[in-house]
Amino acid sequence: MTMQTHIKTFTPARPIWCAGCGDFAVQGVLEKSLHKMGIPPHKLMLLAGIGCSGTIQNNLPCYGYHALHGRVLPAAIGAKLANPDLTVIAAGGDGDGYAIGAGHLVHTFKSNPSIMYVVMNNCNYGLTKGQASPTSPIGYHDNPESGMDSILLGLSFPSATFIARGFSGNPEQLERLMEAALDHTESRKGFAFLEVLSPCVTYYDTHREWRARVYNVDEEEGYDPADRSMAFQRCLKLRDEGRIPIGRIFKGVHPSLESLTLNKAELPPAQQKVGHEGHREQYDKFINSYMG
Amino acid sequence: MSSNNGRPILEDVNVIVAGQGGDGSLTVITMLAELLRTNGLNVYTERDVLSRIRGGHAAATMRAFAGDRYCIGSSINLLVALDEEAVEKNARQLDSRSVVVYDDSGGPVPSVLPQGAIVYSAPFNRIAMRTMRRELYKNSIAFGVVGRLLGLEDETLRETFIKHFQRMGQVILEYNLEALGLGFHLADEKGIHEGEGLYRIKKTAPEKRMLITGNESVAFGFMVAGGRFFCGYPITPSSEILETLQKWLPRCGGVARQTEDELAGINMAIGAALTGTRAMVATSGPGFSLMQEGVGHCGSGEIPLVIVDCQRSGPSTGMPTKPEQSDLNLMVFGGHGDFPRIVLAPGHPDDCFYLTVDATNLADKYQCPVFLAMDQALSQNIATVEPFNLDGVSAVPGKRVEAEDIEKAGVYKRYEFTEDNISAFAAPGTPGGMSLVTGNEHNEWGLVSTDPVNRVKMMNKRMDKIKAAKSELPTARHFGDKDAKIGFIGIGSLFGVILEAMEDLEREGVKTRYLQPRTVWPVLEDVLAFIDKCSRVYVVELNAQAQLAHILVHQGADPGKIINILKYDGIPFRPAELAKRVLGEEGRMIKKGKKEAKLQ
Repeated sequence: MTMQTHIKTFTPARPIWCAGCGDFAVQGVLEKSLHKMGIPPHKLMLLAGIGCSGTIQNNLPCYGYHALHGRVLPAAIGAKLANPDLTVIAAGGDGDGYAIGAGHLVHTFKSNPSIMYVVMNNCNYGLTKGQASPTSPIGYHDNPESGMDSILLGLSFPSATFIARGFSGNPEQLERLMEAALDHTESRKGFAFLEVLSPCVTYYDTHREWRARVYNVDEEEGYDPADRSMAFQRCLKLRDEGRIPIGRIFKGVHPSLESLTLNKAELPPAQQKVGHEGHREQYDKFINSYMG
Repeated sequence: MSSNNGRPILEDVNVIVAGQGGDGSLTVITMLAELLRTNGLNVYTERDVLSRIRGGHAAATMRAFAGDRYCIGSSINLLVALDEEAVEKNARQLDSRSVVVYDDSGGPVPSVLPQGAIVYSAPFNRIAMRTMRRELYKNSIAFGVVGRLLGLEDETLRETFIKHFQRMGQVILEYNLEALGLGFHLADEKGIHEGEGLYRIKKTAPEKRMLITGNESVAFGFMVAGGRFFCGYPITPSSEILETLQKWLPRCGGVARQTEDELAGINMAIGAALTGTRAMVATSGPGFSLMQEGVGHCGSGEIPLVIVDCQRSGPSTGMPTKPEQSDLNLMVFGGHGDFPRIVLAPGHPDDCFYLTVDATNLADKYQCPVFLAMDQALSQNIATVEPFNLDGVSAVPGKRVEAEDIEKAGVYKRYEFTEDNISAFAAPGTPGGMSLVTGNEHNEWGLVSTDPVNRVKMMNKRMDKIKAAKSELPTARHFGDKDAKIGFIGIGSLFGVILEAMEDLEREGVKTRYLQPRTVWPVLEDVLAFIDKCSRVYVVELNAQAQLAHILVHQGADPGKIINILKYDGIPFRPAELAKRVLGEEGRMIKKGKKEAKLQ
């Protein structure tokens, strides 16, 4: 770590977000959590999508990747499978993750790779000037459709292992959730999904509304995050009551994608040296299998 | 075996087995190919299927030959027709010396056969139903008759059955052996006794040859080149690459993953490539269209990736099981904006192997997308090839920096301007190498930039990488008479067809030469020089717009020298058909020449 102090790599950019944007809290908490957990910058791969939140990778000293719109999850999965020793974090917004990228979210819940995914949900498209997003409520910009709930979506997967929702207006809890999510992926337990309610002050300022509506399940006595049906029922009921559940909503157990995919007897893909000496025997077997 | 005297030695025989999809035509052909290969012959097989699971006309064709052939021959010697449609669909490929084995369970043989063709009718279906209670066994019964006709010994045929069906279980094997016995019995009734078939098998000590498809060869080339991450979404005719790598790559510590769609496919491969892992995706036209955004991203972000396009008939979903070469424009000019790319085009399974190794090395070296232009016939047809020479290929690492290099330099820029326009890559996990990768225009650090001076410099850096690459891209192969004034250019599965059509033409007194470009983009000097040296060049393509010819002209070839020979009906060229098309053109040239002479 001392070595890096005198190496000049890129200087992290200053966030492009508007003053008061919820994303500042997400970045602050993320930096703090990474530091606290001792994850060195060179072990961190931070991939982000397109949109306001998709610039977060510019602001941290790490291996950053600006993915195509909606494609941050497949890219993150590819990186994790190729080099499971990296801490892989995917970040993005509700438009990126729930609209164009919704299919990938579904399949990431299904495959359970040990990556953390932070979705900064502001219920609108901030970067393109405030159009309705998949989480916008009925009536926002004449939006006639009710918004999707990523937590309920995640709960429907038997393979989902970590589902939480934080609120940028509650950074202390967000920090706990972020650390728990990172701990989940670092101990290779699978996909850590963390949605953060992150208000957009310019196009859809929900700060006060959300502060009034959030309901913290972490503080509810008897709430058991390991109990899927309880989590589902509680979230549905809270929604009907106009409340938004936050906290560690679900924690399950399921084998991670990389534990099912990688050959443990070999080095992971990214750590192998090219050149065929190491696998000559397999190559010869391949040729022989076509010799008849 | 005195009764065999006077029968031709099996040196070049073309067999079609045809029926409805699910009738087992491919099984018969596959077993025949295996068997004749063990007799020292080379084989080439082709499949003609509809894009459905069962039913619809399906045919499998095999050519067994003593020399080097890379396509199905011009006429079919033996047609095994499991129904009426099989005769109707394939009659055009027969001639007066062809033999037809016909399943007459459904009625007499249709009267579309050429004069002189010999027909052996036998109710395979009815026998299968009557004796075995399952229609399923009709192809095994037919196999007995076909084996006898080809002059193969019963015992050899039995051994092939044991080898083929054993893996499906003892019961299945026994039923099929019983069916094979019924076939022998039937052959006896028709007077085709053991060892008294149409041919004598040339007994040679079999050379050690591989029997492999282009797709499997691509999969193996990638593996040998150190490729350790593959993902794809099943699509005909590329799926075998995924299937082969799913079987083999994990054994070498690699990952081969089926993704939810093509978008996930290319982006997951990009994610793996970002870690320094050699990555590849394979798809076909419609999937390739979906991947275009990712292709451009690789170009802008300088991300190494091999992309295999097993082209099939388009546009849109087209004809999924039919060969075409109509995505060349998309490979060469696809994606938005300007970025460098390399397009390689193999012509045979061994070429697929060696060029995939090259593609994988080149992607890593030049940090850009590298395409392999396949076509359905090249992808899926099976051919005998020399065993791949592992010592003849190597995986060459790209320009990398390790922690020590970075520490020594004291600075690391992902997109540093360098003399060769290639910036060294620090794999994530390397201390000091932290960097940004983005498709947005960026400065040397990877930070987003719209500065016009940086923009032009960065754009030139990317585009100029390929100028330097030109000298080491795979060059074309030359065949034929090097003094001939008439040239051929063609890629992919046309390789074998052109080579054989040239022999037909030579017999007609037309001397030709052939250049097989192995790099399609950028267009290399040797291709243009070849066109320069010829009076006229037939550019043969499986598409309607002469895409390859346009690319060549775009890069400086004289359009006045190019004659397009195009085919886009979904049926592979036969050598005689191509030769005939060329002779037709040559005839027109002579006529035109006379007319011009008169005018003067």
